[in-house]
Amino acid sequence: MDFSLHSYFSILYIVAFLPIVLVAYQVVAQRLRWAVLLVASYAFFWAISSKLIVFILISTVSVYLAGRKMGALFSERDAFIAQDKTRKKELKKLYQKKARLVCGLGVGFNLLLLACLKYLVFFGEVTGSLLALFGLNVPVAVPYIGVPIGISFYTLMAASYLFDIYRGTIAPDTNLGRIALFLSFFPQIMEGPICRYGQTAEQLWAGTPINKDNLYRGSVRILWGFAKKMIVADRLNLVVKPIFADYTSYDGGVVAAAAVLYTLQLYCDFSGCMDVALGTARIFGIALPENFRHPFFSRTASEFWLRWHITLGSWLRDYIFYPLSLSAPMKSLTKAARHRIGNRYGPLLAGSVTLFCVWFANGLWHGAGSQYIFFGLYYFVIILLGGLVEPLAQSVCAKLHINREGTAWRTFQWLRTLVVVFVGELFFRAEGMDAGLYMFGQLVGNFTFESFTNGAFMAIGLTFPSVTTEVVGLCLQDYAAVAAMVVIMTIVAVVEERGCCITERLAHKNLAVRWVVLYALIIAIVIFGSYGVGTAPLDPIYAQF
Amino acid sequence: MPVPTHMGPRLKERCTMDEIIEILESLKPGVDYETADNLVDSRVLDSLTILALVPELEDAFDVTIPAVEIVPANFNSAQAIDALVTRLVEEDA
Repeated sequence: MDFSLHSYFSILYIVAFLPIVLVAYQVVAQRLRWAVLLVASYAFFWAISSKLIVFILISTVSVYLAGRKMGALFSERDAFIAQDKTRKKELKKLYQKKARLVCGLGVGFNLLLLACLKYLVFFGEVTGSLLALFGLNVPVAVPYIGVPIGISFYTLMAASYLFDIYRGTIAPDTNLGRIALFLSFFPQIMEGPICRYGQTAEQLWAGTPINKDNLYRGSVRILWGFAKKMIVADRLNLVVKPIFADYTSYDGGVVAAAAVLYTLQLYCDFSGCMDVALGTARIFGIALPENFRHPFFSRTASEFWLRWHITLGSWLRDYIFYPLSLSAPMKSLTKAARHRIGNRYGPLLAGSVTLFCVWFANGLWHGAGSQYIFFGLYYFVIILLGGLVEPLAQSVCAKLHINREGTAWRTFQWLRTLVVVFVGELFFRAEGMDAGLYMFGQLVGNFTFESFTNGAFMAIGLTFPSVTTEVVGLCLQDYAAVAAMVVIMTIVAVVEERGCCITERLAHKNLAVRWVVLYALIIAIVIFGSYGVGTAPLDPIYAQF
Repeated sequence: MPVPTHMGPRLKERCTMDEIIEILESLKPGVDYETADNLVDSRVLDSLTILALVPELEDAFDVTIPAVEIVPANFNSAQAIDALVTRLVEEDA
């Protein structure tokens, strides 16, 4: 058992931190509730990142000042336009240019902070390797300061705040405390979701009293997240971790199983963490944006990314893909390409330039490692190929009289997408690029079921020298618990895909049903959760990004 | 091509709609754009088609469509595109 306050799944968080914050929030006057949330958020940040808290403070102050400056520029512009309407266009253009500079400086400064804290060591290594290629063995020593919790998430939120002011979709906030809370709100700081100012800032400020309905719905959502994390993700760590750590010892069959199990583990860990985040916020009456929408029902890789880590995808779409694609040079390229190679391939060719930027950014955002950049570019290639072969697939299906909305074709698309996702996650989890390529080689060139028939797979596990000399792995009962949870998650997903919100339905059931569900979740976590001696609970994966 | 200013509002509206539908037809034929109201949600207009559509609209109506306007609500139907173009023309005036 871990008693430190390092994640939403630590004992201290559940039995002390969250209850104290809930009570404090409820007992203070409504106008001060935001302050309780801010103090709690900074305390949580301090508990995990201690002195590195200074970096979120710097980010907060920088976006506050940049936002105020843009606001002042826009006010000045409006005053001039009011005096002389004939110069409206000219003044708009002039002040937009000035605001762009301020926005660029603000965003650039925050990205620089992110780069210095998260990527500098990686860039140092890359520079060292490049110099070595030219025979210059110069050691490139880069100081490591540490990475504050959630920096990848709050930096994107800070950037979106400035972009939105520049675009005129929000007004700059004059209250530093509200911006500080927007960026640091403790349920979202570890793994997101990546919120926009317009989505959450006012809700955070409102100080909505805790009521029975929100308390129930939020608690169910939190427990559902705990069930995913503790029954599936933590349990699977006993087999996923050793396979990826000792990847040269296993054949393609085990590697395939590792890819599938890791994908399941990652989903249960990340979406479980989102359930806890959204559930906690719900108790305070705050609706955070959803980050998952049953991604494993996707029929294409593009659709998968519309359902998986939704807030990252929409951030990249809104602030990189469309602005870049609709820049003057890219629009000219799109038009020229359309006229030369047609409506299908023209935009695809031009769009591929911005798609590359988006997927490179997606990979790099996940971490400072070649495997992450490969992961991003892997999806770039897959999605580009999908666009290229789509017309061919359409004509082949038409010739063969295949109904593209029929069950057989949909099943084929679904299975194909699953394979794409599993292979992507294999590279994502691998201990570096070389390990990923080796494992993929085993998967393709050395696939065998032998390890499953001779007992080698079931013997995989971790050692706990202080407890036992034997390897501790998963038994059939463990796999049964995982399978049962997968079945329940699938049923929930199918029901929700049909437009029914389960927590909504549940909230309208009678008291007995509601309490039975709540207790059933608690009992399931206590009985089937993977915790205690001989287990290897997983640190929230996305908190490392 | 900007709509001639001597036309009445109704006729202008009709011309704009016809031209929008013509552009949409040229990019992705075979859809009933008069009645369709979920072009983005049903992925008739995917992101790449929108990339081709925006410069065409900008040229036809002499407006600039900023990235912030690229949301499903503005592209789900020919009527929504019409409303977007009309609004941007008015804002630009």
